[in-house]
Amino acid sequence: MNFNPLPYPIGQAVIFWLILFGSVTGIVLAIALFTSLVARGLKGPAAVLGQVRDFAVDMIRLSPRRVFALSSLTFKEAIRRKALLIFVVFALLFMFGGWFLSGTGERPDEQARVYISFVLRVIGWLTLPVVLLLSCWGIPEDIRARSLHTVVTKPARRNEIFLGRFLGFSAVGSIIVVIMGVVGYFWIVRQTPSDLVARVPRYGDLAFLDREGNPGRGVNVGDMWEFRSYVEGATRARGLWRFKDVYPGDNPDEGLVLESRFEAFRTHKGDMERGLLCELSFFNPETELRVRHRPFQVKEFSQNEIKIDRKLSMYDEETNTTKEVDLFDDLITDGTLYVEARAIDPGQYLGMARPDLFIRMANRPFYVGYAKAVFGIWMMAILVVALGVTASCFVKGPVATLLTLTFLIIGQGFREFMDRMVFQNLNNVLAGGGPVESWIRLIRHMNPQVPMEPGVSTSIIQFVDARMFDLLWIVQHIVPDFRHFRMAPYIANGFDVNFESAIVPGLAVMFGYLLPCLLLGYFSLKLRELEAK
Amino acid sequence: MQTENVIEIRNLSKVYRDFWGRRKVQALKSLSLDVKKGEVFGLLGPNGSGKTTTLKLLLGLLFPSDGEIRVLGKPAADVDKNERIGYLPEESYLYRFLNAEETLEFYGRLFKMPAEERRKRADELIKQVGLDHARRRQLKEYSKGMTRRIGLAQALINDPDLVMLDEPTSGLDPIGTREMKDMIIRLKEQGKTVVMCSHLLADVQDVCDRIAILYAGELKVMGRVDELLSEQDETQLLTSRLNDEALAEVRQVLERHNAKMLKVGHPTASLEDLFLRTVDESRARPGRRFMPGEDGAAGTPAPAPAATPES
Ligand SMILES: Nc1ncnc2c1ncn2[C@@H]1O[C@H](COP(=O)(O)OP(=O)(O)OP(=O)(O)O)[C@@H](O)[C@H]1O
Ligand SMILES: [Mg+2]
Repeated sequence: MNFNPLPYPIGQAVIFWLILFGSVTGIVLAIALFTSLVARGLKGPAAVLGQVRDFAVDMIRLSPRRVFALSSLTFKEAIRRKALLIFVVFALLFMFGGWFLSGTGERPDEQARVYISFVLRVIGWLTLPVVLLLSCWGIPEDIRARSLHTVVTKPARRNEIFLGRFLGFSAVGSIIVVIMGVVGYFWIVRQTPSDLVARVPRYGDLAFLDREGNPGRGVNVGDMWEFRSYVEGATRARGLWRFKDVYPGDNPDEGLVLESRFEAFRTHKGDMERGLLCELSFFNPETELRVRHRPFQVKEFSQNEIKIDRKLSMYDEETNTTKEVDLFDDLITDGTLYVEARAIDPGQYLGMARPDLFIRMANRPFYVGYAKAVFGIWMMAILVVALGVTASCFVKGPVATLLTLTFLIIGQGFREFMDRMVFQNLNNVLAGGGPVESWIRLIRHMNPQVPMEPGVSTSIIQFVDARMFDLLWIVQHIVPDFRHFRMAPYIANGFDVNFESAIVPGLAVMFGYLLPCLLLGYFSLKLRELEAK
Repeated sequence: MQTENVIEIRNLSKVYRDFWGRRKVQALKSLSLDVKKGEVFGLLGPNGSGKTTTLKLLLGLLFPSDGEIRVLGKPAADVDKNERIGYLPEESYLYRFLNAEETLEFYGRLFKMPAEERRKRADELIKQVGLDHARRRQLKEYSKGMTRRIGLAQALINDPDLVMLDEPTSGLDPIGTREMKDMIIRLKEQGKTVVMCSHLLADVQDVCDRIAILYAGELKVMGRVDELLSEQDETQLLTSRLNDEALAEVRQVLERHNAKMLKVGHPTASLEDLFLRTVDESRARPGRRFMPGEDGAAGTPAPAPAATPES
């Protein structure tokens, strides 16, 4: 679990979505055409194409007024069914939550982090079940009570019914999120003594030089899944960052503020009184100018702010004089700044990863970051509504709830595991084979490294495993990645929520699912008799 | 006279299947009928004979297993035809958390009626169905008859050309039943087409131009009510109350003209006779179309079959 905001490749994501969406629709259409041809002769494909045309017509002639009528009905229904009673639970949690969380005697920033995480988690955990249940039971209940009969015998189209439900429940979810968000904000502000801000980091790219000074990776100090690489002290090993678009701010006299969160890894005790020393230097590859900044002590698990003045002085070894250098004019060309970090203490290591060194931009007010984190929860609630309404178009309430819940769980908790399995399988580094093979190895006490004896049974096992991985791959690509909506780590770490690496992916995931959901819901409602069975 | 068919049903069959596709009930067997513009058409039949199924198929709520349907010149699955249709379901399937005004407001919006017109029409209808005193109460507090009334109002919100009423009078009090009948007649006068199912044969006889009797999903009788019921070999006299003396005189007059007094009494609901005969006959000889004049099941000779298939 490391905090590592990466920019989201939105262009690539859109292309991938188009390919996936296009191929799935293509395959479904092809199967429908083929089976209808087999079942009903030439009339079959004509009917299938007729359905496609009907969808297009219904989309073109969709009436926002009807959608609005249906969504206000949905909203009214939820309110009159007392969905807002959830606020009582919310209020209770806050009244008692305060007792459990406060007075832990921790550092103020640590405490703020606890409060922020608590509030965001409560909002998420209260909103999601409500919208999940509402959206999964709305249409099935409408069908069971046959009130939908009275609606579909009016000129209401199936897509309008889907959208009306979706927007209505979204409105309920939005109200819940907004009210809880506002209350939560004041609660946090009241509970935390220190001033809260949202720091704005600008990250760069990281490369390493090894102890001989050649490009390479840093040292791995043992943990396979370690996210940091280590730079050995008093060698030529370096972490090398490149920051782009660095320009002077509003005040031309100001330099830059850097912040580091390197990890110290001691191979011997050394001087325990002080932290390990780290030295940053700036250099300009165009002019080969290099300026070393004074070393600082690495304080672990907290912010190390390093102020860089605009005017820096450097000792010129050739002329034996001290020169003044301008940060923006001499060290930065085309807005690109190179920073080298090295460890000074011999035999000690500094762990570095890309987000461990960044430029601090002007702070934003806390509420900006907080609002964005709440927005993340909102997007998740909307996606849950879309999934729930879609599921409820083809199965009954309990099944729809289960289905959506499964999506939520796979999309959030199992995601990491699933991604790792698929990745290792695709790269042939999965020790011990797939599920069936692993079971057999387990039963036979076989070492994962020993290859299976070749033979028919092994081929069968491997075939089955390969299909299981295909299935896993499909699940991985169909179930939304709910982790994209988690913005709490940003503000709990005192940062603003980054637009490119957090908001954009969230929006992409949310919008990416809307059209497929609409299609699935539309055809489920259209192709089935809305008769309670 | 050019009459346009508002509803055309050809060889319509419906098989209800369960989740696994196994057939459960054959609710309709090869039904063909037409309903002409401007007429009031009654669908009769015992419970479970397929009346509601027919209406639902016409509305596209169910999909036919076989056969063809055209409603207002469009296929049953077409949404646009609903602009001109009003439907009162068997039980009023409405949103119970809305009140009467909100209900009509909601359905009016589905027709994209402008706000002003919507309000006016809703107000009119609420008064017309006699719910003025309960317009702000949620439907879940309504009695059965009140729910029926608001259901009717809902069906008329768009001033439809074709009204389908599934047992419109069920649950209504005698006054309500009377009002319903008047309303159907009024609709007819306005040139609308009405298709209704009902078990109240006297009412059907009063308002319907044509009827069809279904038995176990099959069409048994269809034709104009007056033709089906007129018994041309009989003459019925209706007078004010006669004393015995007068009655004896009438009998003498009849004897002079070689006629026999068959029955003296109050006129009966003869549709009831027809209905019961049809059902009895269908039960006795399943699979045959019933010709009212063919047999002497009810004792009296009847005219040549009026129920010719409409195709
Ligand atoms: N959803 C359904 N699933 C299975 N069978 C059904 C369903 N709806 C109706 N049926 C069956 O279809 C047949 C016709 O039913 P339908 O409701 O059309 O009768 P009806 O003529 O309207 O009767 P009633 O006078 O009682 O209203 C019945 O045998 C009924 O059991
Ligand atoms: Mg019925």
